[in-house]
Amino acid sequence: MAKEVELDCMGEACPIPLIKTEKALEELEVGDTLIVLVDHSCAMKNVPEWARKQGHEVELEEVDDGEWEVYIEKMK
Amino acid sequence: MKTFFDKIKQNDFYKLWFKDALPYVTGAVLLSVFQIVTFTTTGNPWGVSGVFANWGAWLFELVGGSVDKWFYFSSPGAQATLNAGFLNDPGTWRNLGIVAGALFAAMMASGFKIKKIKSIRQVIAAALGGILMGYGARIAFGCNIGALFSGIASLSLSGWVFAAFMFVGAIIGSKLLVKYFM
Repeated sequence: MAKEVELDCMGEACPIPLIKTEKALEELEVGDTLIVLVDHSCAMKNVPEWARKQGHEVELEEVDDGEWEVYIEKMK
Repeated sequence: MKTFFDKIKQNDFYKLWFKDALPYVTGAVLLSVFQIVTFTTTGNPWGVSGVFANWGAWLFELVGGSVDKWFYFSSPGAQATLNAGFLNDPGTWRNLGIVAGALFAAMMASGFKIKKIKSIRQVIAAALGGILMGYGARIAFGCNIGALFSGIASLSLSGWVFAAFMFVGAIIGSKLLVKYFM
């Protein structure tokens, strides 16, 4: 069964959301989804950018003014 | 009204000009163009943090202090800037413009948010980092704009030296960050 894990990075500035995402993704199995919550506009750019470069499936959703959810499905 | 805003959100021009970030190259070209505009109109290359030192001096004068005898403000140029006053300094208006422009851009992209402070550790790190950066920028006679960007644009070797040590600082900073914030 594929898991869904939430990673709360609200109020964290760059590059902490990115480093936390890297670590959290390491713990997951292929097929699992990590949902990263961010409210820092540069994390909204560099977290998806990094994850796509690693070959994962990424979707970015704007939840509210200045708040985003990054959906990362681990592909390998 | 709601459908009006929903329509704007789908508009390609809105996305291009306000919602999506500019590509790095576009940003670099715009910065260079405005650097030239700044140089030709004010006679000085672009700087940011030096203006804050002047703001500090004006604040100090406002409460009755005097910086006349301070070495940092002893040059005739610095004295002339201080004597001309807060409102006649091009740097004052440029810095206020940066704040206003950044606010406008964030609001237009509906990205403005007042964030919660997560921990006291964050406050201490921010204050400590701010003090170190401010002090460093003053003894280096410039920050990453005045010393690095404007320095390199003026073909000054000091800009490249600044860049090299900024990297050293960034590496040390990253190590500290991982140690204390992860």
